[in-house]
Amino acid sequence: MIRVFQCEDSLTGIMTGVYMAWDSHLGHQNVRLETACDQNMELFCEYVQVEPDLLRAEKVIKTVRTRLGEEAYEMMAYASACPHAGKADAIYRMIVLGLHLPDGKNISGMLTQPDVRLVFELKRKVWHIAHRYMGFVRFRELENGVLLSEIDAEADILALIAPHFSDRLPLENWLIYDRRRKKAAVHRAGGGHILLEEVDEEFMDRLRVSAEDDCYDALWKSFHRSIGIESRSNKQLQMHMLPMKFRSFMNEFQDRKI
Amino acid sequence: MNYRIDQQMNLQEKLEILADAAKYDVACTSSGVDRRNSGKGVGNCMTPGICHSFSADGRCISLLKILFTNECIYDCKYCINRRSNDVPRASFTPQEVCDLTIGFYKRNYIEGLFLSSGIMHNPNVTMELLYQTLYKLRTEYHFEGYIHVKAIPGADAEIIERTGYLADRMSVNLELPTAEGLERLAPQKKRPKMLAPIRQVQAIRQQNKQELTVYRHAPRFVPAGQSTQMIIGATGENDFQIMKVAEHMYKKYEMKRVFYSAFIRVNDDSLLPALPGGPPLLREHRLYQADWLLRYYGFETEELLSEEKPDFNVFLDPKCDWALRHLEQFPVEVMKADYYTLLRVPGIGYKSAQRIVRARRLGTLDYTVLKKMGVVLKRAIYFITCGGKQMYPVKLEEDYILRNILDGKEMLPPGVKPIPAYEQLSLFDDPRFSV
Repeated sequence: MIRVFQCEDSLTGIMTGVYMAWDSHLGHQNVRLETACDQNMELFCEYVQVEPDLLRAEKVIKTVRTRLGEEAYEMMAYASACPHAGKADAIYRMIVLGLHLPDGKNISGMLTQPDVRLVFELKRKVWHIAHRYMGFVRFRELENGVLLSEIDAEADILALIAPHFSDRLPLENWLIYDRRRKKAAVHRAGGGHILLEEVDEEFMDRLRVSAEDDCYDALWKSFHRSIGIESRSNKQLQMHMLPMKFRSFMNEFQDRKI
Repeated sequence: MNYRIDQQMNLQEKLEILADAAKYDVACTSSGVDRRNSGKGVGNCMTPGICHSFSADGRCISLLKILFTNECIYDCKYCINRRSNDVPRASFTPQEVCDLTIGFYKRNYIEGLFLSSGIMHNPNVTMELLYQTLYKLRTEYHFEGYIHVKAIPGADAEIIERTGYLADRMSVNLELPTAEGLERLAPQKKRPKMLAPIRQVQAIRQQNKQELTVYRHAPRFVPAGQSTQMIIGATGENDFQIMKVAEHMYKKYEMKRVFYSAFIRVNDDSLLPALPGGPPLLREHRLYQADWLLRYYGFETEELLSEEKPDFNVFLDPKCDWALRHLEQFPVEVMKADYYTLLRVPGIGYKSAQRIVRARRLGTLDYTVLKKMGVVLKRAIYFITCGGKQMYPVKLEEDYILRNILDGKEMLPPGVKPIPAYEQLSLFDDPRFSV
């Protein structure tokens, strides 16, 4: 009998799952972690729901950071943001393996292990998405001076890009809205940022863009037009570097909606 | 005599003219400096740089790349803004540049400012204007993002030094690879005069490095280093000469980057070459590939090219080409070879080489693992063994490898036709001939 721990699809959720799985004392081969709940259930398995628990997750994270190193922790944090069915179990196995190594800090380079490799791959994928969004996010200035932006990313990168923008624009009020997950990162001028969940999309309709913003929008579009060299024109390369999925929120690729 | 009466231009018209005039400058990187916001201003910098958009030619847009003015006292044959051209002229004011930069930066359109300029009146006046713009941006607007500024050759050393403390990167364009080419196409520009600001910036940077070790918060001088660029294909230099110049710039002047820009015929001038096939983009591409080999892979120009073979192979990238000419050094055993040997294998980049070296300490590698690590097996399988085994039984023969690499599945650069595996023999069409 295998006991499957179904945890919430977040770093806290997965780390709580790791705590519970270890704490069950069933032996590592008899437990498994899962994030997706709507999956087909397997025979001869016992399913346990794990509620995310900040305290337990913190304990696991502290152990990971001290015993396996910051790099391994970063890998897990990034990987947990990526939608993948096997990530929770891979993170669990990676922790188990790392804690059994003489020097746990070696774990992050141990790509010969399939679980570490999966976490590494997911981390790389999420980092690429996050890094792209750091450039492709477009803010619009509202009448009240707040900068507003919308994203629609495959991975849950809001928590990864928000610190970057907090550092970049500390004296601005801004908001980044993740349309797919109905989450938002909100930053107050001179303060820190917070993440809000279950934000309704309706509030977007009530917002009005300032007149100055239209002016900068036009300036940017004309800059974007004039900076390309006609005799080097290469739409395929442009498409490769900047696929269509990113363009729906970038003002230079569309006519103004609002 | 005709007088043209200029009407007051609005900001959009100016931006169009001056962005259009700046587009032939290639350096649009925002990399090389890591700086967090002080909490009192706008902006920060990230070491890898960030691309914010891509233009229709597929090049990245990272910085607001503009000329301060496109008025110029020089008459360089290749330049769209030369004095004798009748193009609309415009100049920004420092205030306008600041407004644009901050307005764009706040909306996350750009990573910073790239400010170049035509020469207005004389080099000193121009450099002083650039300095004033940067000063305003850094002190009044508290802009802490990336700034790349041109050092104008011929300007006073004192102004260049002042500007350098405000900028992240400075650059002087070499324009053409050799002094003879410069003499022909840009007779008013002199090579020694161009090298003077490069030397000066290098010297102050070295001095600044020592200051920074003593006083951690001392002002930083050009923290992201210098870069330069050369036009490729306007004069008759071969690739070997160009690479030698680039190598010299890296070694002697501690350049961070040398950029190559394929010559685009914007002026009709009898001294300029006609380019029926468009700009030499493939040649530019090969030069960039070789440039990376110099900077990251420990290659020397003499290994890639020689007096006898002065140009790059059109069909193959320089690394593959080198490997095919040195088959005696292959195959390389992935589990044992040192880092620098791994770097020389086609299909293994510096990142995958680092990963291999790290991972093999704690386990045995196989081809699946290598693939997941980012090794391009389609290239590498001819040159490596893993655990003493080849992935497929492949022959270590030049013709065999060449034919397989150019198998049609290989993406060839534009302008090159793929070679079929079997064809009627002819004396003169051998893929190893350089075109």
